[in-house]
Amino acid sequence: MPSNRVEDRLRPITPQLAWRVAVLGGIAFVLFGIVFFRLWYLQVLTGDTARVAASQNGRRTERIEAPRGDIVDRHANQLVRTKKAAVVQLVPSSLPERVLEDADNYRKALGEAESQRLAYERQYEALSRQLKDDGRKSTKAEERERRRLRKLGSTARKVPIPPIPTDEPGLTTLYRRISETIDIRPKTIHERVIRSIADTPYSNVTVRTDVPLAQFNYMRERPEYFKGVVVTKRYIREYPEGKLAAQLFGTVSEIGTEQMKLRRYKDVAQGTRIGQTGLEYSYDEYLRGRDGYTRLVVDAHGSRDDERKVSVVEPKQGQRLRLTIDMDLQRTGEQALAQAIQNSEYETRAGAFVAMDPRNGEVLAMGSAPSFDANWFAKPFTQQRYEYLTSNETDAPLLNRATESAYPSASTFKPVTALAALEEGLITPSRKINDPGHWEYGGREYQNAKEAVFGSINVGEALKVSSDIFFFKLGAQANDKGPIIQKWAERLGYGRKTGIDLPNEAAGLVPDSKWRNEAYAEYERCVEKNGLELRTTAALFECGGIERTWTGGDNVNLAVGQGDLQATPLQVAVAYAAFANGGTIVRPHLGKAVENANGVPLQEFRPKAKRKVKIPSRDRQVILEGLRSAAQGEGGTSADVWQGWPMDEFPVYGKTGTAERQPNPDQAWYACFVKDKGRPIVVVVTVEKGGFGAATAAPAARMMLSEWFDVSDREFHAGTSVTR
Amino acid sequence: MSAPIQPASDPPPSLGPREWRLRLDPLLLLATLGLVACSLIAIRGATADDWDGDPLYYVKRQAVYIGVGFVLMYGLSRLDYSRLRELRYPIYGLLIFGNLFVLAIAPETRGTRAWLELPGFNLQYSEIGKMLLAVALAGFLVERMREMGRQTTARVMLLGLLPTMIVLAQSDLGSATVYVVGTLAILFVAGAPWRHFAGLAALFAVAVAFVLVAAPRLGVEVLKPYQVERLTSFMHPSENANDAGYQQEQARIAIGSGEKTGRGVDGATQTKLDFLPEHHTDFIYAVIGETYGFAGCALVLSLYALLIWRALHILTIAKNLFGALIAGCIAMMLLYQLFVNIGMNVGIMPITGVTAPLLSFGGSSMLSTFLALGLLHSINAQARDTASSKGRTAIFQ
Repeated sequence: MPSNRVEDRLRPITPQLAWRVAVLGGIAFVLFGIVFFRLWYLQVLTGDTARVAASQNGRRTERIEAPRGDIVDRHANQLVRTKKAAVVQLVPSSLPERVLEDADNYRKALGEAESQRLAYERQYEALSRQLKDDGRKSTKAEERERRRLRKLGSTARKVPIPPIPTDEPGLTTLYRRISETIDIRPKTIHERVIRSIADTPYSNVTVRTDVPLAQFNYMRERPEYFKGVVVTKRYIREYPEGKLAAQLFGTVSEIGTEQMKLRRYKDVAQGTRIGQTGLEYSYDEYLRGRDGYTRLVVDAHGSRDDERKVSVVEPKQGQRLRLTIDMDLQRTGEQALAQAIQNSEYETRAGAFVAMDPRNGEVLAMGSAPSFDANWFAKPFTQQRYEYLTSNETDAPLLNRATESAYPSASTFKPVTALAALEEGLITPSRKINDPGHWEYGGREYQNAKEAVFGSINVGEALKVSSDIFFFKLGAQANDKGPIIQKWAERLGYGRKTGIDLPNEAAGLVPDSKWRNEAYAEYERCVEKNGLELRTTAALFECGGIERTWTGGDNVNLAVGQGDLQATPLQVAVAYAAFANGGTIVRPHLGKAVENANGVPLQEFRPKAKRKVKIPSRDRQVILEGLRSAAQGEGGTSADVWQGWPMDEFPVYGKTGTAERQPNPDQAWYACFVKDKGRPIVVVVTVEKGGFGAATAAPAARMMLSEWFDVSDREFHAGTSVTR
Repeated sequence: MSAPIQPASDPPPSLGPREWRLRLDPLLLLATLGLVACSLIAIRGATADDWDGDPLYYVKRQAVYIGVGFVLMYGLSRLDYSRLRELRYPIYGLLIFGNLFVLAIAPETRGTRAWLELPGFNLQYSEIGKMLLAVALAGFLVERMREMGRQTTARVMLLGLLPTMIVLAQSDLGSATVYVVGTLAILFVAGAPWRHFAGLAALFAVAVAFVLVAAPRLGVEVLKPYQVERLTSFMHPSENANDAGYQQEQARIAIGSGEKTGRGVDGATQTKLDFLPEHHTDFIYAVIGETYGFAGCALVLSLYALLIWRALHILTIAKNLFGALIAGCIAMMLLYQLFVNIGMNVGIMPITGVTAPLLSFGGSSMLSTFLALGLLHSINAQARDTASSKGRTAIFQ
């Protein structure tokens, strides 16, 4: 059997072979050892972390967006609601790197342009203040400079949107496809892409909302044709009343990266849309609702299987916000304001009104002109639209002048001065002061409007006819006793925020010697630091317009609501509410209650009054009598406005105001209230460049009261009083 | 392929009942049966959802390969492998021209040209080539044993590198490295001096530098970019969450999550949800790790250890040098494959597409391994026959 060939012959295993086999065995042993210990490490020592990783793998949570709650007026009329709309979005990460860079550069350029604008705005304000302080007529050159700064400060330099990159064929094709499908120009798509990424870099770019169903389905079924495009149904806001109260509601958009860090949003997930401004912001926690979730397990290819759905948490719609606003009164107020603006002897667009319940601060109506269609908020903004809404050239329709703009409130401030004078013992109710029509004080000549002469009058009569000289003299007297007018003004709520449930409220300003002297010291320091000379134009632009210290003249101006006094229409309403209710400083509010979708109240908002100011009833009666006779008495400043008004039924207490706003035309004011048992109301109207208060503001207030008390005469009754 | 070596004129020796007992090495058989059983169980768990309508599709196919493999192994074990020495030229020819043929006509599938499309079965010829290489090289070396000089080493090396290059041209990097390992193993067992290996190591370093650095600069693409990525990605697994790095990370998670006793077939989410790529082929070991934990992994590892030990043992008792060289070559090829495969599963070796012998799903690898086992059994049987007739006992019994 064994072969005879040499290599088949048996040979004893050589020591060399034995040695080499041992080496191979050793190698095998080492390799097995390595694997064994690696397994030990992976599975026994660190297995638990791997198991956690494995269980995270494929677990995915998908958010189900909750619709925001509706906003209704006090009678449950819908003002803001939510509807589901087809939305076309682009995912930023799917766009070329180039576009993201362009967007980033665009954002930086915008920031620069805006800080430039702010600088011009500051210079403009400084120059205006200086011209006012000087009290002289400005020169032509100064006027020209002022106009130039106003223009530069009103709108930021336009930053062009970077063009669509030409060397990105994929992008161009995608834009073309979207453009052809949903009828929107590629340039517009690109503009939205750039603006949105500049704004919120990680959020999807909304290209169009409210896409028709046919196009929606077409895009949905062709994901490979529309790469990077998300077509979904989302909730968008809808404003059935359009322009009505447009400034109050505010905008809703995805939470920003910086906002995520705020305590206020600690439970809000990325991508959630939150209220950014207005009531949407203030009542966001109620309106927002709670998003739902589907937790599911997907496999490595991302495909889901409904059998593997782990859990579903249904979304919860936000609560319904009921406002204190009365929709009919609101509408009438806006119409009345529009009519007042139209009736002004000057070219104007801007004004504001507030109507409030003096007992509890419920805001019954609040409006600002110019206005805009709130439905713009539901769509992606274009550059032009944004500029239109915010530019000074268009009088910034987005601005809610009732709370965000502070002006000198002119003669509507006189009751405050009167109260201070009575309480601090400057005068008694019957004390007469001579008003010869003009008066010299501190080297300056003061006079009544249109050189009226009222003779010897007491405080009630002075309020009725709105004598300036009477109050000028009180202002001068008060200055010797310190900041007593200021004290009472601040007690009544001037100079600080009313605390209304809207963001961006202006605090206004009650000027006193301390404020002005400190501001001047600051100005001096600034001038010195910059090596400039005092009271030069360069110093003015660098350090602001407070170029002198406090004088008695400042207090004289304050006494008639002029000079540095700054008050919002809402602050005036709060002060007049205090006269009406006997001294309670209410906290104005627009939110009345939150309720579930069926109108069942969940929580009512009754913010506590801020404080109660003690006003002796004798002095209050004197002031009320002054306000009553101003509106009702023969020769009262607004008496002719109220001709034909049922005074016996609804006695009106009202004060006109005409604010000098050099070099602009006068601003009209009217503040009034009716102390009705069932439906008391305080109304404040102001019209920028509206002329005399009786001519524009008071008739608008009357139209609102007619609506409120259902008086049949709804005409606009322009008054003829030419007092301030 | 077994056709040319059917010795029609030389029937197998007649077998008595006593000799029959010795034909197959029982421990080697045990390791083989254990591993194929593990393979079937693991594939069954991993692929239950992979083939619509037939959860056992892959299990059945694998069972068929195993069955055919056993028949081949048994047939081969009953032949005297020594006869193959005379056929070394035709065998080497089969190796070279077979692989060239495949390279010429194979369609490109998944970046490689290594698969020959046969009806009902795709053959990866380079797998079969491993055994052809072992037999042919062993044959050549035995001829030159008396002058084990530099020339012999160089010549054998070149003989081994030629098919390696062809297989590399097929983009079958895994098999190419197995060829190299087999060649080196044969030289080592044959007693090539240590300094030759040192020289080869130096040459290898130069070649690697050329392939990875110099050639791409010159615009010559020896390795495809994805192959380079695979080879280098294991060094920084979490950096590249895609592709190679991703696969290795998922395999590590799968194995680790099995912990001591595994998550069971239903709980093995890495496998079930396809996070583990290639779960019935390259990453079958990770499936076992996830499903049966450290216990399962250690069992498979022990079976492999048994397999390698038996192969080395058979090497020591081989009745002639030819047998010893083949056995050594096979032992090292198997060791290399199982280490590289398991190593890539546990994240210590790059992804090279080397399959786990007897474990991974796949007919070519299975047939090749069973051919190797058949050769080992044959060497074993011949050694025992000779020993019993000559009265010699092996040293490392």
